[in-house]
Amino acid sequence: MAEFSTSTKEVGEISIIYLKGYLDAHTAPTLENTFSNLIEKGKYRTVVNFNELNYISSAGLGVFMAYIEKIRENNGDIKLSSMSEKVFNIFDLLGFPLLYEIYQTEEEAVNKFIESKSFEK
Amino acid sequence: MLKKQLTKITIMSLIIPKIKMNARIQFFVVTIFALFLFKTLNNTSSSFYFLISNEILIGISAASLYFVLIEWVHIKKINPLTLVMNIGILVAVIFFLIIFFSSTFAELSGFKISGQASFGIFPKIISFVYGYILLGTSIYIFLAFRELYFFKQKGNRSTYFNTMLVFIILSSFSSILPAEIIYVQDTFFIISIFLIIFNSLKISWIAFIVKKDKKNLLFLSIIIAILFVMNLAGNTKENAGSQIIFQFSPILNQFLKIILIYGSVYFSILFFTTLFHIPTAEAFDRKAQEVSSLQYFSKLITEVLDFADLISTISDIAYTINRADASWIAWKENSDLKLLGNKNIGFINAELITGTAKEAKINFDLSETIFFPLDNYLNKLQLSELFSVVTISPLRMHNEIKGYIFTAKRENSVLDEEDKNALDTFADYASVALENSHLFEESIIKERLEKELDVAREVQRKILPTKYPEYKQLDISSLFIPAFEVGGDYYDFFEIDNDNFGFVIADVSGKGISAAFIMAEVKGIFESLSKIIKSPKEILVKANEILQRTLDRKSFVSAAYGLIDLKNETLRISRAGHCPVLLIRNNYSENMRPTGLGLGLNFTDYFADTLEELKIDLKENDTIVLYTDGITEAKNKQLEDFGSIRFEKILVDNCYDNADLISNKVIKEVTLFSQNNPQHDDITLVILKWKQLIKNYGEKEWQNSALQLKK
Repeated sequence: MAEFSTSTKEVGEISIIYLKGYLDAHTAPTLENTFSNLIEKGKYRTVVNFNELNYISSAGLGVFMAYIEKIRENNGDIKLSSMSEKVFNIFDLLGFPLLYEIYQTEEEAVNKFIESKSFEK
Repeated sequence: MLKKQLTKITIMSLIIPKIKMNARIQFFVVTIFALFLFKTLNNTSSSFYFLISNEILIGISAASLYFVLIEWVHIKKINPLTLVMNIGILVAVIFFLIIFFSSTFAELSGFKISGQASFGIFPKIISFVYGYILLGTSIYIFLAFRELYFFKQKGNRSTYFNTMLVFIILSSFSSILPAEIIYVQDTFFIISIFLIIFNSLKISWIAFIVKKDKKNLLFLSIIIAILFVMNLAGNTKENAGSQIIFQFSPILNQFLKIILIYGSVYFSILFFTTLFHIPTAEAFDRKAQEVSSLQYFSKLITEVLDFADLISTISDIAYTINRADASWIAWKENSDLKLLGNKNIGFINAELITGTAKEAKINFDLSETIFFPLDNYLNKLQLSELFSVVTISPLRMHNEIKGYIFTAKRENSVLDEEDKNALDTFADYASVALENSHLFEESIIKERLEKELDVAREVQRKILPTKYPEYKQLDISSLFIPAFEVGGDYYDFFEIDNDNFGFVIADVSGKGISAAFIMAEVKGIFESLSKIIKSPKEILVKANEILQRTLDRKSFVSAAYGLIDLKNETLRISRAGHCPVLLIRNNYSENMRPTGLGLGLNFTDYFADTLEELKIDLKENDTIVLYTDGITEAKNKQLEDFGSIRFEKILVDNCYDNADLISNKVIKEVTLFSQNNPQHDDITLVILKWKQLIKNYGEKEWQNSALQLKK
């Protein structure tokens, strides 16, 4: 049905995944691949930018659940940013804000990573 | 048994009765025996009748041998080079026989040049054998020429050959005519020679011989030509061997002479033609190989449908096309290239080369085969085997590059335009085949998916409640519309006891058969928990714990569980990530949304910590609405959501109707909104209306009547 694509950008040690289009059961594997590739390369600090995402289904939400454990075990995190109200509502209903850090902007999310890193030192 | 052996025979271009092979052999044996008796027992060789009957017998015997051999040659389907070899051996045999007879035998038997047949029985037998061997070999040589003539010959050229045969026979027979009419003999002879030269030019078969064989042929043809010429030169009246043949049969002598001429002419021409063919032999070989591999491949298209098999086959053929040493296929998977079906090359080497090529040709958006010399990259590549040049041909489906065929060559030879064209054509064929296999696989998957979905729908249908609990205080309506791909919606009612009524709504993440199975499990969990635990919060906490065992990491279940205490007129509700439960009261809609994570999102104590339970007192005409996102996320053609505002307005506007009417109203509006846009998710709507039991006294009675008036 609908199109979905991802693109990634590296900001220092942080990877930013941009989502575009409709994320549902059919398109979820694309995002799964993106995450597995990052994990394979040992990149565990991820910001997901939802700015251009129109829709997310339960299967789409499942992708984040699939990788969070592995990522956090490696002292990384998935931080979410720039969601539209509609997309945020879907996350909110399921209680995702209790499990994930969700930020208004990509910069905030990136800064959060940088801050936490300086604390570690 | 016999019938099987006696195969019916029709001889090309020769109209002869259909004589069975066995009969031919028998006839031949009879003629040879008759001839033998005639030759050995008869002494009056000078008479004309003797001469005629001798020639007739030999003619019949020769003809029967001809028909035996013609069939044998035909059945054997001997290739031209073997035929040439056979001729070579036979002409050598003739050569040595003539030498032997001219020297040794003639001396031993006391055979005189004058040629009188007045010797004993032993020389007679020997000369008979000698004569007959020459007869047989010359007939076989002639037949071999005939086979060569018709080999790879297009169209029906039998007329020329048969004409030649007729003239050769006429010329042979005319040799017994009296000397006064020698011109007849000469005429037939000259015409025969002319036809022999003409027919010898038809040697198109050498074009189909591979280069190596052509070189052999060149060598063979010159030797055989020399042998023929030598035999011909030796075939004179002074030669003792020829004398014996002449005595055996003058016709055979003439026939042999013509055959020797034929051989000399044919092999001389063959020698020169082959010589001229050698420079172009390689190009011809290549073209022939290309054609045959392309033909082979187009045949495969219809035969191989399995993707992996097809990839392997393509790779197998690819490197033979440009005579490379190795090949593999780089198949696009997302943004990466996955290497498949590597032939004659290790995976690591293939990957190194592919990677280098990909880097060098940044976007890799090829429209045709390219050559990629590796010279400049060899130091960097560190290949364990040396390859110096690579070709890359794109595989396209619907104008999109799906992969590349790689071939690699060890020697640094130049790959020319021909190779490029051949590879391009091949890649086109391969693309079509791959596309076919892809479509085939897709249709199988689709079929399997549809079967799966049938099962899933069946599971769902059986899981959902078929009847409502009967409580006087409750008016219940439920509605479920499955999506094509089963969405995993579930709701249920639990009549716990006379005073307690439980209900649940849930939505399993994902779709199809996997969602249906989780749904079945969820039903089991709630059904059993509702019997032992009253608190909605505790039920959800427990359900989460149980689900940990089955849910994989990316699956989860949103649920809301409610318990109505009919005696105390209260509702307790807990929500695990599900849509809010709506309470419509006094023309106002309230979202009951206690916090809570979806089931399966967290398996620690944190889950219980975040889960809230809400408790409200129920009032007359309170409408409790449970739904799944299939309603609020129903989309129209513009992909707008139906949305909760529209939904709640309908509920409020119709809140004094009974539960069924409200439900109908909602579905009608959703249907109108989404027009014909297909439904992507299950739609579930459960409406519970609270009707206070009318009591004989007290405040509530007043409220009731007031409400009824309002209605």
